This record gives sequence, C-alpha cells and structure tokens, in this order.
Amino acid sequence: MNWPQLLITVATIGSIFGVVTLALNLQYARGGMINFGIVAYFAVGAYTYAIITQPPPKGLDQYAFGLDWPWWAGFLLAGIAALGFAALTGWPTLRLRGEYLALTTFAFAEVFHSFLLNERRIGNGTVGLSNVHRPFGDWGPIEEKYVFAGAAALLLIVTLAAFRQLLASPYGRALDAIRDDEVAAQSSGKPSADMRRQVFLISAVPVGLAGAVYAMFTTLAQPSLFTAEVTFVVWIALVLGGERSVYGAMLGAFGLVFFEEVVRALPFETVRSAQIAASVEHIITGVLFIAVLRYQPFDRIQRKVRAST
Amino acid sequence: MTGRDHARVPTQLGSLLEVNGVSKRFAGIQALGGDDGLSFQIDRGSFVGLIGPNGAGKSTLFNLLTGVLPADAGTIVFEGNDITAASSHQRAEHGIGRTFQTPRTFESLTVLDNVVVGATSPGERLRSALGRKWRRHEAGLVEQARDILDQVGLADRASEPVGDLSGGELRMLGVARQLIRRPTLLLLDEPTAGVHPLLQDRLADLLAGLHRQGMTLVVVEHNLHFLLAIAEHILVLTQGRLLAEGPPSHIRGDPAVVSAYLGEDHAA
Repeated sequence: MNWPQLLITVATIGSIFGVVTLALNLQYARGGMINFGIVAYFAVGAYTYAIITQPPPKGLDQYAFGLDWPWWAGFLLAGIAALGFAALTGWPTLRLRGEYLALTTFAFAEVFHSFLLNERRIGNGTVGLSNVHRPFGDWGPIEEKYVFAGAAALLLIVTLAAFRQLLASPYGRALDAIRDDEVAAQSSGKPSADMRRQVFLISAVPVGLAGAVYAMFTTLAQPSLFTAEVTFVVWIALVLGGERSVYGAMLGAFGLVFFEEVVRALPFETVRSAQIAASVEHIITGVLFIAVLRYQPFDRIQRKVRAST
Repeated sequence: MTGRDHARVPTQLGSLLEVNGVSKRFAGIQALGGDDGLSFQIDRGSFVGLIGPNGAGKSTLFNLLTGVLPADAGTIVFEGNDITAASSHQRAEHGIGRTFQTPRTFESLTVLDNVVVGATSPGERLRSALGRKWRRHEAGLVEQARDILDQVGLADRASEPVGDLSGGELRMLGVARQLIRRPTLLLLDEPTAGVHPLLQDRLADLLAGLHRQGMTLVVVEHNLHFLLAIAEHILVLTQGRLLAEGPPSHIRGDPAVVSAYLGEDHAA
C-alpha cells in the first residue's frame, strides 16, 4: 500500500467532504434543518465551475456553453451558483419542518440529478463534462497533488474559521435558541424564519466551492458522481463524528474517507475479493452508524466533560 | 370603562394596548370572544390581573396578543400601531414580552445564556456576528443577566444547564429572560405555579418594583391570594368572554365571579 499517496488523497477528499459536512452541521445541528439533498448544491458548484472554465463546444461536443473563463472566476461563481440554488430551493421548502423538509430537499436533489442526466446542452447528459480545468500545476518543487491537498485544506480551514466565529457569536446562540424552542425564541424577538433562511443560504456557499474543488481534483462533472449516496455519506460522517461540534463533523468526514480509501487501496488477488471488500466496507460503515446512533458515545463524552468542569 | 365586553383598565398615562373585537375558534368551537369578539384596553403603567377558570381563554388571549396564534377576527393595537398582522418576533421587538403557562427553555444553553439570549444583541445580525464589535456589548449583557438572575434567586445556578432546574425555577428563569428585554408590556402566565413560597414573595416584590418603574404588567394567575394582593385591576374571563372587571376589592365580592369559579351554590 502506498501510504503517502493514500494520505494525500485522504487529505484532499477528506477536506472537500469535510467542508460539506461542516455545512450540514451548521444546517442540522445548529439550524435544526434536515437537508437530504445537499449533494445537489455540491453538484451545482462542480458543474458551474466546469461550465465557466471549459472551452466553447466544438466538433462532437453536445454541451452548448463553455465560457473559457479563468479558474478563479469559475470557483467564485460556483459558490454564488450554490447560493442561488439554495435561494431557489429554500424559498418553497423552508416553511417545512423535520421529515417534510428532508423529503422535499431529497426530491429537489433527485430532480436536479435527473435534469443533469437528461439535459445534454448544459452538462452533456450522462457522459458529463470531462477534462475539467485543473488550475494548479506543480509549484516549484511542490507536486500538484500536494498543492491540491493544500488548497482543499485551506477551503476547509476558512470554512471552519467562519462557521466557528458565527456559532460562537450571539448569532449562534440565537440559532441554538430557535432550534431548542422556536416559539419561545420568537417571543424573545428572534426572527426564526429569517435566520433559518440565512443559515441555509450561507452554508450552501462553501458546499458549492467544495464542489468546484472536487471537479478540479477529479477533472470530471458527471451525474454519476453526484448521486444520493454522496448525501448519505456526508450524513454518516456527521453522525459518526458527532453532530454537536464542528470538529466532530470534520473528524467524521476524515475518518470515513480514510476508511474508504484504505479499503480501495488494499491489494486484491481477484476481482471477486475486491467486490467482497467493497461490500464489507459498506457493512462496516452501516454497523458503525447504527452503533453510534444506539450508544451515542459523543453525548456521553460531552456529559463527562461537562461533569468534570 | 365601557361596559362588560369593552373594559378599560385606567391609569393617568393613556392607552397602551387596545383589543377590539378579537375572537378565536379551535375546530369550530369558540375559544375566545363572543359574537362581537373580545374588547378591552390596558393603559400604560397599569398592573392587571387576568383570572378565570380553566379553559376561560386566558392563555389563548396571551397567544393572540403575542402573535403565537393569529386572531380570526378583530384588531390589536399596541402603542398606537396596529399589530394584528405582525409576527411574534416583531411584537416582541415592539415591546411585548411574555412567559408561558408551561415553562419554555432553551435546553442546550446554560441558565445564564437562557437569560442573555432574551436580549437583542448586535451580534445577532449576520454581518456583525462575523466581526468583533459585538463583544463589547456582550460583556454588558452578561452583567445585566447576572443581576437579573440574582433578583429571581438563580444567581448561583448561572453556569448550570437548564435541565438541572426545578419547575418553579424554570418559571423564574422565564421571567428573567423577559426582564433583560425590558418590555413595555409584560404578560406573565401563571408565574407562581410550582414556585417555592419564598420565591413567590421575591417574585411579588420584583413585579411591584417593575410596576413602580412604569412597566405595564398583565398576570394570569390561579393563585388569587398572590394576585389580588399585588394587582391594581382585575379582568375576569369565562368561556372566552369578559365576565367582570374592576379593582381587586370589587372582584372579591362579585357573585358572578364566585359563581364562575366555584359554581352557583357558592355564589348564592
């Protein structure tokens, strides 16, 4: 097993999914909103980046748009597009609560996925967009893969710092109050609907940016990369790491990506054994998920920490 | 005063709250207001007790006044502004504070933060939250919250989770959270239920002090001994209608009130 390569992949993918998990942490653990369609905002970022940076269509290309703009324009517009998509989807859905919000966000993501599969002029249909522009080459002696890992880690750190600042402020306290008891919070002058909407919108921005970095890293924007499975992987990461803290959310993302990458990197003698390993990976992830839900170790740790202080 | 269904709670300072023909139905059953709805006025600086048997509509009235429930008909005017269509948080911003019949708290926050969150901090605006200016204001709020916790007898519980408080202490915490807002009109829903007698005395002193400072208070209470001793005017609701109103001394001897509470035999 090539450990340095594996670790650098974990650092890059873990950072990208760490950003998405942080956004989910903000929406769910602090905002009280269940978003089962977070993959759609991730996909919007990836496709926006690809469309903005790719060259205009030629020859057999089926897509209709390619602006050939620089990477930073694609990156910024990926965040803005995710924000716009969140505004569009949040407007009709955020009046809903709990499982109803979960179902509608899931439905939105599925409709968007279906749109990507079938609309060739935007994202080239099932084939998707390939050869997505990779902005970072080798930086002097530093290889491209390290530069990528650094860029993804930087996005994670900036997201983490911004969310921490937000949640440690009176804004975060008001959010907690709204999540705990909306009626009482409103009676204390907290505009719960406005704050929920704000959280939904601002948390979509880093998800869109992470989508752009994912498209750069994989050089692909394909529907098969943005299925509901991504949403559930991020949810599992959030639950495994402990939804109560931003660090737990990050830890869950890195842990899950590490586990997946290790299984993928194992040398197998036969195709059959690789298939079995992939199934075992899913089973172990599922068992871990159930165990965390059943035993709630993070709540216990929190109680112990609280008792010791 | 303008009759049984259109009472006016008088002071020298003019009207603060005007309730005009307000009514509410639940599943087709009239919960508040008769055919013409419920109407009354409360003047600025008054201390009003709102009493009535269970199901009289007292808490429903509070919910309509604070926007927790929309009124089916009628208007609510506060400080000259029609707030009938205003949302709950907008009414709180206008200066209407309330506590609840069943104490409502923020479980993930400490006792201290349950009070601080009652105030409107500049750091609650998204743009300010990402800056640092709110920190200066925050220190003042925390100090204010500690003072208020001291007044309601919870000073030594400030850093505890709210889950550790008793039912009576939770009620006091609800009052404390409203006090930090300094509302113009404070609606208290059964503030003494489950509260230790010593704390009840402290609460009575606290409310009397707020009244002296000019705060308008409306208190729903089943503990008539407590309420009649501190309120200067009583409104009696029964079956969603205004049955009687007047000073405590007048209400005590009103046969209609005694009958509504204890039945016809006692009123005779």
